[in-house]
Amino acid sequence: MEYKKQEIKKGITVHNLNTDKFKTNLIAIFLTTPLSREYVTFDAVVSAILRRGSKTMQTQEEISKTLEEMYGASFDSGLNKTGDNHILKFYLESINDEFLPQNANNMFKMSIEKLTDIVFNPYLEDGKFKEEYVEQEKENIRQKINSKVDNKAQYARTRCIEEMYKDMPAGLYRFGYVEDLDKINSQNLYDYYKKLLSECKIDIFVSGKINKEDCVKIIEEDENISKLEPRDAKYVVNDIEVKEEVEERTIEEKMDVVQGKVVIGCDILFNEEDLKDKNLKYQAMMYNNLLRRKCKFKTISKCQRKSKFSIYRKFKLCSL
Amino acid sequence: MQTIYNSKVKETLYTEKLKNGLTVMCIPKKGVQKKYIIWGTHYGSIDNKFIVPGETEPIEVPKGVAHFLEHKMFEQENGKNSLDVLTSIGVSANAYTTNDHTAYLYECTDNFYEALDEFMDYVQHPYFTDENVEKEKGIIGQEISMYDDYPDWKVYLNCLEAMYNTHPVKLDITGTIETISHINKEILYKCYNTFYNPSNMCLVVCGDFKPEEILDEIEKRLINKEQNGEIKRIFEEEQEDIVKEKVEQTMNVSKPILTIGIKCKAPTPKERVKTQLAIEIILNMIFGESSNLYKELYHEGNIFEVPSLSYEFAENYAHILITTNANNPEEVYEKFKAKVQEINENGLNKEDFERIKKMIYGEYIKQYNDVTDIARMFLSDFMKGINSFDYLEEIEAVDLNLVNQVFKDNFQPQKMVLSVVK
Repeated sequence: MEYKKQEIKKGITVHNLNTDKFKTNLIAIFLTTPLSREYVTFDAVVSAILRRGSKTMQTQEEISKTLEEMYGASFDSGLNKTGDNHILKFYLESINDEFLPQNANNMFKMSIEKLTDIVFNPYLEDGKFKEEYVEQEKENIRQKINSKVDNKAQYARTRCIEEMYKDMPAGLYRFGYVEDLDKINSQNLYDYYKKLLSECKIDIFVSGKINKEDCVKIIEEDENISKLEPRDAKYVVNDIEVKEEVEERTIEEKMDVVQGKVVIGCDILFNEEDLKDKNLKYQAMMYNNLLRRKCKFKTISKCQRKSKFSIYRKFKLCSL
Repeated sequence: MQTIYNSKVKETLYTEKLKNGLTVMCIPKKGVQKKYIIWGTHYGSIDNKFIVPGETEPIEVPKGVAHFLEHKMFEQENGKNSLDVLTSIGVSANAYTTNDHTAYLYECTDNFYEALDEFMDYVQHPYFTDENVEKEKGIIGQEISMYDDYPDWKVYLNCLEAMYNTHPVKLDITGTIETISHINKEILYKCYNTFYNPSNMCLVVCGDFKPEEILDEIEKRLINKEQNGEIKRIFEEEQEDIVKEKVEQTMNVSKPILTIGIKCKAPTPKERVKTQLAIEIILNMIFGESSNLYKELYHEGNIFEVPSLSYEFAENYAHILITTNANNPEEVYEKFKAKVQEINENGLNKEDFERIKKMIYGEYIKQYNDVTDIARMFLSDFMKGINSFDYLEEIEAVDLNLVNQVFKDNFQPQKMVLSVVK
């Protein structure tokens, strides 16, 4: 496996993992932008609206049919927080030509076209996102936000993070906030999308049986990519910072459950000396594994999972 | 070893049935870092009543023994827990129990053979005492309580209970706190000696291996054990009808969850692969991402994700499950039934069929991306008497006529149930 990368335009980088270990090629487009209370909910709706249709595949049904026809190429999107950034992720995985019944047309090229079409060439009506789609996706996200209580363990973790990083970007909920959904309409959402596209850091990852040169060539020639302008990408480089010790706090919420869920979040305190140590991240990961590995069930394992989580958070803060 | 090459996915299976009856399979993946090994016994949560080879009288054991055994296998006479030992070697080990099999596994990048010593040692050396069996009841009790909080699990179990009258597939794999209270070390040894015989087991490895070499290493570590004869599993006759059409439970969820179940006739061994493929195609045509039904319900704001679609079967049961969150579960159910009725009258659409068939073909190819998926697939298919390559070979012969026939045979309105958790 060989990893190479190339900045094809300022702020837009192609990453290539050339490997013959898989039957599929995976293409991922990541849009990275700073997390903010103001736009966190916009990001969530943008991420959802792009799935609804592009200029060439105007409905979700058309997108699905196209993917099915491509031997079940799978499209996926995700929304993650990494440190103080919000990352909108779009993936398309398709079978390598070698494993298709008859040598189908260049599946990789087609996959790039379809994915960039979804991300960079959305379906518009009257110069803005289709209103019906926007309202439906707002509703879906409203339900997603409201349903965070369903998985109690997950909910406890989310709440713990919110409390630990109160009033900080890292403490924001990745799908945003119900009260902000009402402020979103198809025009201001499209305006935000255009701003996002012109300012965000864009990374395109390709893993599969394809070398960097071919990969870059196909991507550079792609119609949707060629329309993108170079940019001074705005995103937060997460540095490890010295932190003050804080007092232990307990937040308790009551719900009707058979088994209580406990989450302990531990932020790691760094001093000036620690910051010089490049191995800090790995030490934190090791420690995290020591805590969670020891036993399988009973109450202790829950605590361990927790420590995994909070250290993982810290790890995430270090990772960009 | 016998070799089977599949030209579609360009992989080779090496397989050997040893003298003691153990089947060993190896799917080499050159250049892949991860190594995966899984050892399964054809013994799952449904095998509660059986005749031990050499005996004449059937015995019945409490529900949950297979899973209990799985838990207890890690405990060793020297006081060590094999899971900890394997972890200390640097490999990631685990085990699981399903309806029809129990499996032990680990994966690693280094120290494979060192771990193999421990792995093959603990699976072949059970150590049960009154004390350690009692202790485990508390731990498993916790696990059972944990599942009580999962709406997804409840909606699934309730659906099975609505479909099956007597078949043990309807019971929770773990058993209940009451049933496991009756388990003792004698029962565990009895079940171990019956089902953990090499002739009832299969071991699969996937990774950068030389097949003959790994076979030698496995044989070296096997203890001497005679093949025992056939284990006769006893299932009460399950009537064709469902128990009740609708079942509902209230839990603390923001949005109702529903599972539509369809009770089917278990396919004969020859029909299994084609039936599975045909049902996967049909389910995706009716309720997949590009289906009209999904589009309609999504646009109405009733559902907001593609339902999970599955077909489960073993020797003597088979059912279809469709699970999703919905604001109005009844409406989803009614519209699904209407769609089934429409297809019954008009047949399935040819264009949709061809497209979805391509998609399913791709799905099976994707299974070969990861050593874990490959090994697990070969093991679980083996337990059903299937060679996993058969899916790729037989899909060509799955045509619209066959799919329409499978539809008629399996999607029967009077066999449908609706389970809701709200």
